Amino acid sequence: MSAVNIPPKPKLNYLNCDKTIRSWLLTLDHKRIGVMYLISTLTAFFVGGMLAEVIRTQLLVPKGLIFHATKHMSSFAAYKHYNQVFTLHGIIMVFMVLIPIIVAGLGNVVIPLMLGAKDVAFPRLNLISFYLYAGGAVMAIVSTVCGAVDTGWTFYTPYSITTETYVCFMVGGIVMIGFSSIFTGINFIVTIHKMRPPGMTWFRMPLFLWGIYATSIIQVAATPVIGVTLLLLILERVMHIGFFNAALGGSPVLFQDFFWFYSHPAVYIMILPAMAIISEIVPTFSRKHIFGYEFIALSSLAIALIGFLVWGHHMFVNGQSAELDTIFSFLTFLVAVPSAVKVFSWMATMYKGAIKLDTPMLYAISFIILFTVGGLTGVILGCIAEDVVLHDTYFVVGHFHYVMFGGTIIAFLGGLHYWWPKITGKMYNETMGRITCVLLFIGVNVTFFPQLIVGAEGMPRRYASYLPQYQGYMIASTVGAYIQLVAFLMMAGYLIHSIFRGRKAPDNPWGGATLEWTAASPPTHYNFDDTPLAIEDCYDYSYIKYDPAIDGYVRTDMPAKPAEEPETAPAHG
Amino acid sequence: MISPDPMAAIFSHGWNFSTLGSLWLPNSASSFGPEIQWLWDFWYWMSVFFTVLITGITVWFCIKYRFRKGIRENADPAPDHNTPLEITWSIIPLILMLVLFIFGFKYYMDMDQPPSGCYKISVLAWKWHWQFTYPDDAVTNTLYIPLNTPVEFVMTSKDVLHGFWIPDLSIQRDVIPGRTMTIWVKAIRAGHYKLQCAEYCGDGHSEMLANVIVMPIPAFKKKLAQAADIWMHNGKVLPLHVVGKRVAQLEGCLGCHSVNGARGTGPTWKNLAGSSVQLVSGSATADYAYLKQAILYPGQKMVAGFNNVMPDYYSDFAGAAHKRARKLDALIWYINTLSTHASKTSQPPVPDLPGKAGKAATQPASAAAGKAKSGKPAATEKAPPQKGAAIPAAAMPLVALGKKLYASMGCIACHTVNGTPVVGPTWKNLAGYPVKLTTGKTVIADYQFLRFMILQPGKKIVAGYPNIMPSFTTTLAGKKNAKKLDGLIWYINSLSDKTSKTTQPPLK
Repeated sequence: MSAVNIPPKPKLNYLNCDKTIRSWLLTLDHKRIGVMYLISTLTAFFVGGMLAEVIRTQLLVPKGLIFHATKHMSSFAAYKHYNQVFTLHGIIMVFMVLIPIIVAGLGNVVIPLMLGAKDVAFPRLNLISFYLYAGGAVMAIVSTVCGAVDTGWTFYTPYSITTETYVCFMVGGIVMIGFSSIFTGINFIVTIHKMRPPGMTWFRMPLFLWGIYATSIIQVAATPVIGVTLLLLILERVMHIGFFNAALGGSPVLFQDFFWFYSHPAVYIMILPAMAIISEIVPTFSRKHIFGYEFIALSSLAIALIGFLVWGHHMFVNGQSAELDTIFSFLTFLVAVPSAVKVFSWMATMYKGAIKLDTPMLYAISFIILFTVGGLTGVILGCIAEDVVLHDTYFVVGHFHYVMFGGTIIAFLGGLHYWWPKITGKMYNETMGRITCVLLFIGVNVTFFPQLIVGAEGMPRRYASYLPQYQGYMIASTVGAYIQLVAFLMMAGYLIHSIFRGRKAPDNPWGGATLEWTAASPPTHYNFDDTPLAIEDCYDYSYIKYDPAIDGYVRTDMPAKPAEEPETAPAHG
Repeated sequence: MISPDPMAAIFSHGWNFSTLGSLWLPNSASSFGPEIQWLWDFWYWMSVFFTVLITGITVWFCIKYRFRKGIRENADPAPDHNTPLEITWSIIPLILMLVLFIFGFKYYMDMDQPPSGCYKISVLAWKWHWQFTYPDDAVTNTLYIPLNTPVEFVMTSKDVLHGFWIPDLSIQRDVIPGRTMTIWVKAIRAGHYKLQCAEYCGDGHSEMLANVIVMPIPAFKKKLAQAADIWMHNGKVLPLHVVGKRVAQLEGCLGCHSVNGARGTGPTWKNLAGSSVQLVSGSATADYAYLKQAILYPGQKMVAGFNNVMPDYYSDFAGAAHKRARKLDALIWYINTLSTHASKTSQPPVPDLPGKAGKAATQPASAAAGKAKSGKPAATEKAPPQKGAAIPAAAMPLVALGKKLYASMGCIACHTVNGTPVVGPTWKNLAGYPVKLTTGKTVIADYQFLRFMILQPGKKIVAGYPNIMPSFTTTLAGKKNAKKLDGLIWYINSLSDKTSKTTQPPLK
């Protein structure tokens, strides 16, 4: 290719086409909205992560290292602050990080690019959605500044009705974030339905889009329930209408049913997009077609739909009838099967591949291992008799951190490293990326594996202090959290470094076959100069060749890039 | 806020990895243990197998099929789907899941259905405290469980959700306000275990623990008999403020209210009684009436700077049973002993009751008001001498009969013979003493009066006691039963140092 010889003509991309702050704040460009989401969610992730470090530090000693009894304060008054910390950690991580970070963050940037489209179906709705998220975050901050909440992220009644902390503001913020999630879901469903390029039938879509599609269905169908539930909670707090408070004739268990009717599907809102990212990374870095495409695609939908019917497995010990326990247990086991098959399919994809262990692939492999542990520990929790001895213990905490952190966050980081060159137009330091990934993998296991053991031994969750016999595990877990902190600081370092000093990224640094790699890095404002055709199988890597001149891959099935053609060239037919 | 001590504690505190029962789960002391352990082991080895398999194969592929420049730049041709393989790896997990489901369901049914005739212990939970009540009315903070006996826990909460969780007995169930939750267990190994609250319930959640002691049935019975009477210790009547301290522990007051001046979830009790209290609106003096109201209806007058989190203690202290009101007074006596401002107005009225427990209580308060920390006031009651009570020898068989009836007819449930008033007046020093009635009249408890009170108890009520005694007309009235009735009254006489001809039944 002769591209290197052409004098560098400053090519406008979505980042530098308009540099005013106004152009960012009022942008309708899906990529800019995606970047704003990424910045917001990563900021939230930083705050939530620091709170996690506070939690782990507190638990170094049985009576609490940070919040404990002093001359002027009883232990309970001190533990209230610990309770506020873990509540805030949970709320931030669930509602402000895990739910939006992949779908609204990476999804906003990537989905239209994967579809070869200019933007999402409803760009204005997209911007509203971001501002609802931001507004919700502001309300959460107001609540925190006023005095925070100490209910746990689950807001279980009647505690959440009777506590004198700032529940209404926090809950109101979450309702707003819920609307943001609904709008994003509607937007992506319509986008995927209506804006696929010529040639891309449903079963020729990249699996990332299948995952996002299934997720969006859950977002649209389940989120209204949490909205209504939390509004009822506000009504009950303000007007003392007895929905959930037994003292007023309500039922605390009703709240749990409503809450988990959303919050269990919400777990799939978090994990399905993560699986979708892995389904992109594994074939790309194995240089091999994904194994069992149809199954992976349809299993996302199956998980999304069955996922609506398993919420009662959070309530095995709250006295719901044994019949309900049985049905929910059965459906829970049913959901486990498609997840297992996905893991086997990724492994079969690697079989006989040409596996490049670049940073995104290392994250994908970490995901497969960590998700296996998370999934298997979930299986025992779905078993009713065993749940009785594990419910509300650290075993549950360990389990869902393996799934949410070892699953969602690790997959997100894989996706972030995978699409980082596309989003920023810069390459990060690959060696640092690999070292950090390995360090993080170690940190996650050191943090969460001891929690599984200490939970099986009986230590309950949400404890500001604990019996001395658990201390060994708690210290190990805290050491793991510090390892993670180091890893994240390193990551922040080399990613920020890459923005300013990084090598310019080629359009297709990894050899991906999906359409986003045919756009420039970073893409232009309208993504593509021409609507691309989805002629090739998006997992066929045979026609994508490495070009050492640009240290990237080129497709051999496409004409030379239009940008390098003279202005006078005839338009494409 | 980090103080140096806990930091040092990391290194000096000798922790130990607790002995793993078998593969993580504690060695269960419950009859469910073997089933749960079996299923856990099945899952455990299945998980180890799959984790090793998946990790091993993934790592092996990464090494074997790694990208090598010039040697391996492209994948080998391989099918991108294989229906028999895909069906196989769907069916195998499905079968394993079904095994877990079926056994989990089967064992859970055993755990869910209590066998008939369980020994029932009621569990009351509130922020942040457990209280256990046994069939014979003993109340404890430590959960005593008889060995090898199916025990059903009947549980409810006064305020928010709590979780009844004993890891070593493999039982857990939420405790929900407004509902009665049940769970049962048969403990098969004696020992000391811990109950931990599993459902988040606020500030004191992590300290909402209780000791659980599984003991053989004889020891269990003995323990309960001791716990049943908070007014007594080793056969001696305790002064009221000591009883009050016991009440404070049983009711969990001390979790939130310190006695040393430290700030807690609620105001400290040190120097509270008699002092001036800053309320949310206005101020008040912590006198007897105020303290009583603050305990029974805690939300009504909030102390400034504290949250409205205290559950009301109405059902524990108020209501008909006089015993409860006396517990409340005992508690307020205790609060008074902690204060240098204590005075007549902050102290409960000196009990105007038969028996001497009340009189004993006047001493600690005045002692505390005088010199705050002079150790335990000498308030222990001396057993009054039995003044040889002029019981004729001829009546002794009747006294013995009465003593037998006292136990067999159930008088013992409400009337003590040691001076402690419970539900009804004590029989000690009753005969021959003046008794105040609800009508305001005072009468001497002579033979006719005692007879009348036993046969028609509702007609005249002794002041300060509830009208709950059943009539004994059918069992004690009439010529046929005259001996029994007289026997009881002889027995009552034998307990009094003022027994005389007028109080004794006529001897034939």
